Amino acid sequence: MTRDAYVIVGANLAGGSAALTLRDEGFDGDVVLIGEEPHPPYERPPLSKEYLRGEAPFAKSLLKPRADYEAKGIKLCLGVRASRIDSAQKQVELDGGESLAYDKLLIATGSRNRRLRVPGADLPGVFDLRKVEDADRIRGQAGPGKKAVLAGMGFIGAEVAASLRQSGTEVTAVEMASGPLIHALGLEISKLVEGLHRDHGVELVFEERVARFEGSGKVERVVTDAGRKIDCDFVVVGVGVEPAAELAAGTGVAIENGIVVDEYCRTNVEGIYAAGDVTNHQHPLIQRKVRVEHWQNALRQGAAAARSMIGKPTPYEEVHWFWSDQYDCNIQYAGFHSEWDETVTRGNRDERSFVTFYLKGGRVRSAVAFNQARDLRRSISLIRAGVRADPEKLRDPAVDLRKLVA
Amino acid sequence: MAEFQTVTKADDLEDGDMKAFEVGGVLIAIARIGDTFHAFDDTCTHEQCSLSDGGDLEGIIVVCPCHSSEFDVTNGDVVAPPADTPIRVYEIRLQGDDLQVKV
Repeated sequence: MTRDAYVIVGANLAGGSAALTLRDEGFDGDVVLIGEEPHPPYERPPLSKEYLRGEAPFAKSLLKPRADYEAKGIKLCLGVRASRIDSAQKQVELDGGESLAYDKLLIATGSRNRRLRVPGADLPGVFDLRKVEDADRIRGQAGPGKKAVLAGMGFIGAEVAASLRQSGTEVTAVEMASGPLIHALGLEISKLVEGLHRDHGVELVFEERVARFEGSGKVERVVTDAGRKIDCDFVVVGVGVEPAAELAAGTGVAIENGIVVDEYCRTNVEGIYAAGDVTNHQHPLIQRKVRVEHWQNALRQGAAAARSMIGKPTPYEEVHWFWSDQYDCNIQYAGFHSEWDETVTRGNRDERSFVTFYLKGGRVRSAVAFNQARDLRRSISLIRAGVRADPEKLRDPAVDLRKLVA
Repeated sequence: MAEFQTVTKADDLEDGDMKAFEVGGVLIAIARIGDTFHAFDDTCTHEQCSLSDGGDLEGIIVVCPCHSSEFDVTNGDVVAPPADTPIRVYEIRLQGDDLQVKV
């Protein structure tokens, strides 16, 4: 009797976490982890922060050293692209012609950066940021006397702006909304982020889009749709991501804003699971499907998918959480909101030391904190419990948030 | 030769409290959990944030404020990433009212 083979496509945080969890939970069949990048699984947050600034070596970003996978009998197929899944034959086809048979398959192919489809986008010096090599290229261009334009000021734009300013690079950010991070955090918090960047000398251009890049042999200038010309040495494009779900095409797996999975990370095709950025996952607390782009989700959902695969399923219902470090400001967010009817703030926004709670129907749906990690962490159980919260108690810093969960 | 040094009084800490002290040149956090005390490196092994300043104690787990790395204060083990290196723990004892740590 041959051993079961579990194949994971995506040697990243979600895929790596799944592979390690399979072994930790006692799976003794074959585990194969396929990854397009030549590196073992690594986390991406440092790529816009400490790694970009040259403060931390790449080794610190690895989920585990390569030797750990070998020690656990996890086969790493790195620098290899999975080209097709044959769900009828239960095979994964790889570039180069090899096929791997699977008994169970986990798709953890992550996100793909959206591209700016404008003239000049292929000019040398127009970078985006996803892989460690991208961070190396950006770092190679940065420094005093250099000018960077950031196209887009979401989380990537904001974090890269901060890191570049800290390296002495001049930075201009072009954002089509009226401020940074408005969609993610709302107008009030956006204003605070804007102020933070202005204080650190970032030039901000809002309500304009990049119309084209110009330059001879490399990018030399950005031109906006308002006709504004911004000279630069390089550009970092951060205009959002899409789930990289195309591998599931033709398999019968439902794809809608990502690979659709239930709270056990199962797709609608038996034996095929998905985890991480690529998923649109049914969330028991939020009571609908959501797609997130968080480090914590990749790590935890990858582990949850592994437990489902080996027959120890528990519903994946983590309260989503992420951080964003910009300059010396530690921003954290917990929960998931798409709309809210009131906000309550504890602490002092001007001093950038506060928690803002987003409520709907009197219940805290999410919270964002600037330099108040402890209270943000304590909000998580409030969000999970879904209880009605007294705004005065939320507002009062002397109230221990843990006591508000009845 | 490591020796016990008096760091502070037991009454200095309430249940669920953590404070950092410099002991023999090392920043050490002391946590009180009920009537037991634990001593460990105050510096998170992920990005060197202070565990006691803004971090949280959840039972015997200390949670770093920066990115929520979790450590077991009884043995320094990493309970949750992104940290992947344990923190050092130190012997601590109560002599009368004095908390003493061996560095």
